Amino acid sequence: MNDGKIKTGTPGLDRMLHGGFVPHRPYIVSGAPGSGKTVLSMQFLLEGIQGGERCLFVALEEPPNEIKQNMRSFRWPVDDIEMLDGNSDVRRFEPTPVIEISTEVEPVKMREIEDRIRKTPDFESHEVTVHSLQQLLKNTFIKRRYERVVVDSMTALKYFCMREFEETLTTQSFMRFLAESKVTSLLTVELPESGDVPPETFLARGEVRLHKLRDETGIKRFISVEKYKGSSHDEFVYPFEIRESGIVVLSAEGGKAPAPL
Amino acid sequence: MDRISTGVAGLDTMLGGGLIPRRPYVVSGPTGSGKTILAMHFLAEGLGRGEAGLMVTLDEPPNEVKSNLSAFGWNLDRLKMLDATPDIKAHKRQRSVIDVGTTLDVRDMEQVGEIRQSSGIRALEVSVHGIQKMLKQEYFGHLERTKQPYKRIVVDSLTALKMFSMQGEDSRIMIQSFLRFLSELEATCLIVSERLKPTVIETEFFLARGEIRFHKWLDGNVIRRAISIEKYRGSRFDDRIRPITITNAGITVDSQGSVSLTAGRLAKLGDAYLEQRIGDEVSTVIERVMKLIEEANKMRVSASDVEHGISRAMLHLHRKNYQKALKTALNAQSVLRERLDRAKQGLPPPPPRAVPPPPGVRK
Repeated sequence: MNDGKIKTGTPGLDRMLHGGFVPHRPYIVSGAPGSGKTVLSMQFLLEGIQGGERCLFVALEEPPNEIKQNMRSFRWPVDDIEMLDGNSDVRRFEPTPVIEISTEVEPVKMREIEDRIRKTPDFESHEVTVHSLQQLLKNTFIKRRYERVVVDSMTALKYFCMREFEETLTTQSFMRFLAESKVTSLLTVELPESGDVPPETFLARGEVRLHKLRDETGIKRFISVEKYKGSSHDEFVYPFEIRESGIVVLSAEGGKAPAPL
Repeated sequence: MDRISTGVAGLDTMLGGGLIPRRPYVVSGPTGSGKTILAMHFLAEGLGRGEAGLMVTLDEPPNEVKSNLSAFGWNLDRLKMLDATPDIKAHKRQRSVIDVGTTLDVRDMEQVGEIRQSSGIRALEVSVHGIQKMLKQEYFGHLERTKQPYKRIVVDSLTALKMFSMQGEDSRIMIQSFLRFLSELEATCLIVSERLKPTVIETEFFLARGEIRFHKWLDGNVIRRAISIEKYRGSRFDDRIRPITITNAGITVDSQGSVSLTAGRLAKLGDAYLEQRIGDEVSTVIERVMKLIEEANKMRVSASDVEHGISRAMLHLHRKNYQKALKTALNAQSVLRERLDRAKQGLPPPPPRAVPPPPGVRK
């Protein structure tokens, strides 16, 4: 059943996807805040690194130094993952129009990320728009060939880098760009506590959804594959836990991971 | 990783030791649930350790904050208060918005006196940008004066600002920029905010590195409070909802205690539970009276008025009029008990009490 699929880095998920992701396509990881989206996407890149692939993490939601600190507790060999800081600076609210992310920004390896947050320079600030980010990624992809790319998060990109009236169209174009660049990409999408599913999920080739439920004994986490174009997939919802080693998908009874087909 | 204490021991336990420093966090919950008190715990804890703290107050004028907190025995004299409450709107035609940035009102808690009067000439309206400017001025001013950066900053609250000063798409970008600004100050920040709509991802919740949520609901006629951690980046945390109490010593978290139900359904289920309990109570009393009536019949003691009373109680129970049902049933019970006791002792029955006639029977 493998058909050249690539591993996700989360063993139980590979089985749910009947082998892994079909390469060179964009996928969505959606879930409520704190459901484990960033951890899952980090595992996706880690799998690539261990196979000798080049991997890029585009940070739009949190500063890279914090991501690095947060991942420290997993003790993963993340040093070779390249990180592109796409966080906007503090806005200056000056009459001059948007100063876009400079196209000279380079991805930095995780091991070189400093412990302190990058400060907004005094004389100018850069703001990221979807247009500038796309241009920057294009240049980056021309220079080097990346196999796996994570955009964390699409919600931030939509919220802070796009104008409201063109969100869906621009999102579509951004995903098209990723597909044309022949990278397998994982985009994280934050889901509200209740309400509609954001449009990104319609556009992606597959959606892995993380669920977070609260009951008397605390927060329970579940994972499901909502959609997977071009492949069969497991239709059950499985519980998972975030352990020292990362995300571990359990079988429905809470025991071992779902059995392979 | 080093952690910083919130000032509430039980909450620190829930957070796995405290907050990861130099990051912004959100404190959410309904009004009157304890958000501001937590913020004050956090600042008081800092002051106790000699860390400079700043409170940006947007909702209440500083004098009210001061008097509200005087009941708690905290020494907050050295706490800096930045008064960012908007003035009375001037409703002038020429310029609609004047930023707060023009006057900076920061003072020690000690010196907070009366409410600041709106200036006759121009009114201050508050915007995120204005606050950002004020905060920056104060942060670097303070750094220069005392050679000490602010370690702890509280913004109380963003809700009013969101509701009144910002509408439309810009608000996301404004708040994003504000949070970035707070992150770059490298102080640990608590942002008090209310989640207005569960269907919308609100920017500060989305960007904050953690969310501490307060819950408040009515259990019968008692207000109950609880606290939970909804999100906490980069750390393990206690994922249960824990009960809290607010006393003169501030917030106490029962970090071993448990709350049986989730917050959204709590109110409704609390009522349902209470209803069931009263219902049960009434039916046990009625059953008891029925037994007494049986006994009375055996002893040839008249109980017809009590029978009427109990049928009325049952009617009330059926109509879910629990209080009346309980009252009537208890009354019937005590009347019959007394009568039976007297009969057992061989005493003559007491003079009949004035039991109102059953409904529908008129003389």
